[in-house]
Amino acid sequence: MKKIRTYFWFVCSLLLMLSCMEEQDFDQYDDLSITPTFEASILFLEVPERTINLISGLNTYSQSFNFDAFAEDIFSERVLEGVLTYQIENTTSKPLEIIIEFLDEAGVVLDTEMFQIDPEPIAILHREIAYGPTGKSIDIIRNTSGITLTAINLGDNTSTSSQPNALISLKSTGKFTVRLK
Amino acid sequence: MMVRQLLFVIILWLGLLARAQNKQLMYDFTEIPQALLLNPGMETDFKWYSGIPTLSGLSIQAGSNGLSVNDLFANDGLDFNDKVRDKVIQGMSYRDEFSSTLQLEILNGGYRSKDPSVFYSFGVYAESDVIMYWPKDYGILAFEGNADKLNERFDLGHLNARGEVLSVFHFGMNKRMDNNLILGARGKIYSSILDFNSTNNTGYFETTDGQNNILSNTLRADMQLRTSGINAIETAEDDGNVPATIVKRGFFGGNLGLGLDLGFTYHFNRQMVLTGSLLDLGFIYHANAVENFTLDGSATTEGIEIILPDALLNPTQDFWEDLVDEIEALVPFEETTKSYMTFRPTRLYASLRYNFGESTENPKACDCDYSPSGRTNNILKYRNSVGGQLYVIKRPRGPQGAITAFYQRRFGNFMATKATYTVDKFTFTNVGLGISLQAGPINLYLMADNLLAYRNIAASNYASFQFGLNIISWEKK
Repeated sequence: MKKIRTYFWFVCSLLLMLSCMEEQDFDQYDDLSITPTFEASILFLEVPERTINLISGLNTYSQSFNFDAFAEDIFSERVLEGVLTYQIENTTSKPLEIIIEFLDEAGVVLDTEMFQIDPEPIAILHREIAYGPTGKSIDIIRNTSGITLTAINLGDNTSTSSQPNALISLKSTGKFTVRLK
Repeated sequence: MMVRQLLFVIILWLGLLARAQNKQLMYDFTEIPQALLLNPGMETDFKWYSGIPTLSGLSIQAGSNGLSVNDLFANDGLDFNDKVRDKVIQGMSYRDEFSSTLQLEILNGGYRSKDPSVFYSFGVYAESDVIMYWPKDYGILAFEGNADKLNERFDLGHLNARGEVLSVFHFGMNKRMDNNLILGARGKIYSSILDFNSTNNTGYFETTDGQNNILSNTLRADMQLRTSGINAIETAEDDGNVPATIVKRGFFGGNLGLGLDLGFTYHFNRQMVLTGSLLDLGFIYHANAVENFTLDGSATTEGIEIILPDALLNPTQDFWEDLVDEIEALVPFEETTKSYMTFRPTRLYASLRYNFGESTENPKACDCDYSPSGRTNNILKYRNSVGGQLYVIKRPRGPQGAITAFYQRRFGNFMATKATYTVDKFTFTNVGLGISLQAGPINLYLMADNLLAYRNIAASNYASFQFGLNIISWEKK
């Protein structure tokens, strides 16, 4: 049996010796960089003009809410950079101000984005905010755990727009690059 | 370091062949008893044989039709990320596959019945078979993401993989019906050690223009991963008794199944021979240590939506958790222990062989130099054989085939060789060589495939190796 094993390994060794292999460098794996970029909508706010007019005497709507999308470990530990894109459209008869505040877990404001938008006929505001090496600190995104959204009516509560279905809408997307490897 | 080693092992092991299980060198190599496992209706002239336990048969095949180790790791000065992007992410198709097969005979033997036209064979072997198609769209999504890919659907059906480790207990009967026809059948009991399969997935992930918000992300999924035995081995790992658990599951303590092999050899005349076999017509019923995972449903999201005045009704509403809960309800990820059945990868072999070198009933009168001393004359061995073989295997994405041309040559009664040239969808340059050596009762065989790739083994898409030792008797029946 010992002889047989010896013969087997001799044949295997011979086969390997007769074969050739170009030089391989498996350390190249260390150079592998996987940094995909993902994008998705984040927040949509819609306030019809009739709702604004219904709330007489109160010109500010403010809502704080939990937003853990950025705080998930799989994202916060890997995000490198990104862009938040906002689109605000106002067809109401009132000038408006919208404030978005990013909060950490303790409720501390990390960053504030303010938008002032004119009234009808159609006011569209488009803004892109970069985070990361070429923009604001990416730590704002990493540590965000909540959002406070404030809409302030800078006009009155009685006028009506000449536009059909007058409203103010806020649309937003996030486009972030994360390091998977 | 571990990751690098793991990657290397995966590429080498899963990454060296795609035509797993095609044993074109072994098929109809009548000097080797193990060829009976590929055609139970093969010509046999042994009185009895016994494989040397654990050494009678070892075959390893592994490969990938789309990628070789050299493609990625050649020390060519090219940027590794560019190579991954070009060769893997963009270069491979969802039909490209990684696969490997390992078969190790634990016990193998055979004996001729009192009726000399009947030969029985039996044994036990362990087998692992893994196939994974390249999940191309998952690769693109992981490597590039979904940004700037509006209206591009990532096909979730690209996830298609299955694998199993099992032991097979078999008993076969081979009967010469008349001078021209030999029939054979082999019954099998499968004892599955572990199994996983995720082969019928459908669905997609897509980013489109949103209705309310800027973008809309849609996930439509009907996916499942079925496993058996894996959690039993994980538990055994915690308890420190993995070997005992594997042995137990391999010897009827796992999930059981039944199978059948059929085969024949038909002589049109003494020189022209047709053979065929259908292997592993069988199933395994998985009811033990089953763990299944499903993702089934459809959801579209445009992020958190705050629409007034509705949002004023509940000022403490947790919009984020509500969104997560809504998506999880629409596309639930569930775990079940429901039993399931798997069918074995059925294989078909066929060959047409022409023997030449004059032969008569009396070997001494033959002008060939092969004289099967001690064997009966009802099977004539010719010095040369040439022919073609066909191989088809049932795979998750449909049947895969290969055709082989072969030449067989016998040198005296101590050596027989077989050279093959195989063409399939993966390569046109597969040349293989097999040799069977007979030293008294000891039979040794050795086979290697894709020999041209040995010029640079790292660039090979495929490697296979078979080795075995037997004790054979041709005493007068």
